[in-house]
Amino acid sequence: MTAIGRRHWAISAGWIPARATGREPEFSSHDVLCVLNTGARHANVRIDVVYAAHGPVGPYRLVVAPLRVRRVRVNDLIFPEAVRLEEAYGLTLDCDEPVVVQFGRQDTRQRENAGCMAVAWSG
Amino acid sequence: MAGSWRNWSGSIAFAPRRIECPRDEEALCALVASACADGRTLRVVGAGHSSSDIVRCDDTLVSLSHFKGIVSADRAACEATVRAGSTLADLGRDLYTHDLAMPNYGDVATQTIGGAVGTGTHGTGPALQNLSQMLLAVTLVDGQGRLRHIGRDDVQALRAARVALGTLGIFISMTLKLVPTFDVERREYAIAADAALAQLEELEHGNRSFDFYWYPRRDDIKLRLVNPVFGGTRPRHARELMRHTGYGHLVIPTHSGIPHRFEESEYALPAEQGPACFRAVRERVLQRWRRVVGWRVLYRTLAADDADLSPAHGRDTVTISLHQNSTLPWREFFADIEPIFLAHGGRPHWAKKHTRRAAELAPLYPRWSQFHRVRREFDPQGVFMTPSMRELLEVPA
Repeated sequence: MTAIGRRHWAISAGWIPARATGREPEFSSHDVLCVLNTGARHANVRIDVVYAAHGPVGPYRLVVAPLRVRRVRVNDLIFPEAVRLEEAYGLTLDCDEPVVVQFGRQDTRQRENAGCMAVAWSG
Repeated sequence: MAGSWRNWSGSIAFAPRRIECPRDEEALCALVASACADGRTLRVVGAGHSSSDIVRCDDTLVSLSHFKGIVSADRAACEATVRAGSTLADLGRDLYTHDLAMPNYGDVATQTIGGAVGTGTHGTGPALQNLSQMLLAVTLVDGQGRLRHIGRDDVQALRAARVALGTLGIFISMTLKLVPTFDVERREYAIAADAALAQLEELEHGNRSFDFYWYPRRDDIKLRLVNPVFGGTRPRHARELMRHTGYGHLVIPTHSGIPHRFEESEYALPAEQGPACFRAVRERVLQRWRRVVGWRVLYRTLAADDADLSPAHGRDTVTISLHQNSTLPWREFFADIEPIFLAHGGRPHWAKKHTRRAAELAPLYPRWSQFHRVRREFDPQGVFMTPSMRELLEVPA
């Protein structure tokens, strides 16, 4: 399969609720990052977090195997520093192989769960 | 040599007047004798993994970097005499060549054996005691610069020496009670927090070593079981994450060399208080701290012992540790949770963050005064009692 995607991505609408309704971790409120690697080589992804009210933090690193997709909750990124909940943040992703990046949110603060998914901006 | 010193996480930093690395016992004795004669203070530093003020010293900081390795090993008796500056990782490797092993390890093996014994460092397991209980005898330099030996029959001095925070003297060589080399199987599982808590007793008592990490951002748990191969329990409603086997010294410590800095606070609780205390901590973190706390809470078990200042003195114990990235707020987090630990009868880990001082600590230790009698006999002028140590151990008159 020919590799599809770009090497540079950005997400600007990060904001993770701290509260949740229902059994966890299934119903934890969270943002999720979905990275698809359609190529034949491992994709090494560097993620940096940019906040509205704090200096940037990073890098966080992920590897996506060839012909695999990787879903990672932003809530679970704790090295080098736990991503802050209930603070506006954005992400930049730099990758050594073309990948496709989508970004989603599950908001369970109310019993009627809300969810959304969007394609990240590719540079 | 003057210099600056900082611990592993970076939260303890100071500039001692000098840092010394004596090459032999004679030089070490001379250093202490000189400090004693001049009325100065001196502390010995281990690997710097500890994050409490017990090592802070404005005068002389002594490294035992030249005091490493095994002096002698007796396979039949399961004992070895080792130098106090050896790291646990090195000891594990070296003891293996004698078909011997330490009975247990903590999560990391970067500490020196002198530091680990001196602070009551521990692993997990309801029948396993902290590492200080391996100590059968010790040769040390006392507070007047004299070489002293505490033998295995000197019960009172040994009880004091086992968790002494470096206040009796500088350990040079230590005779340890060991076990034959053993292999184990480590299994780890993901499980919902309530499902794990519902089978807690079975997990605690059905496995050689059991502990769990609770993740505040997901309210779920990673169970970690270490057993003889094919031994132990199979947790219900859990998903197996990994399984591997190997020698204890290679399989039990899991986080040595972790590159990211964190701060840690830990309390030792009476075992029967562990579950209730954990539930209270969990509730408080979910309610107040999830926003900035992503690191895990660690729950472990520990058998009772009789060392004077051991946090497990006289009672089977559960320990609960808080972790936080060193760059995120940790003082406020730990300070907010500490009253919960205290309300459940907690004693702080000597080498981790806490706010307790001597007047609050003394009532927690029934042999507090016996310890100090031995301490004063070994260090009558208080060479090892820096201002930080006085705050910790000296009850104001």
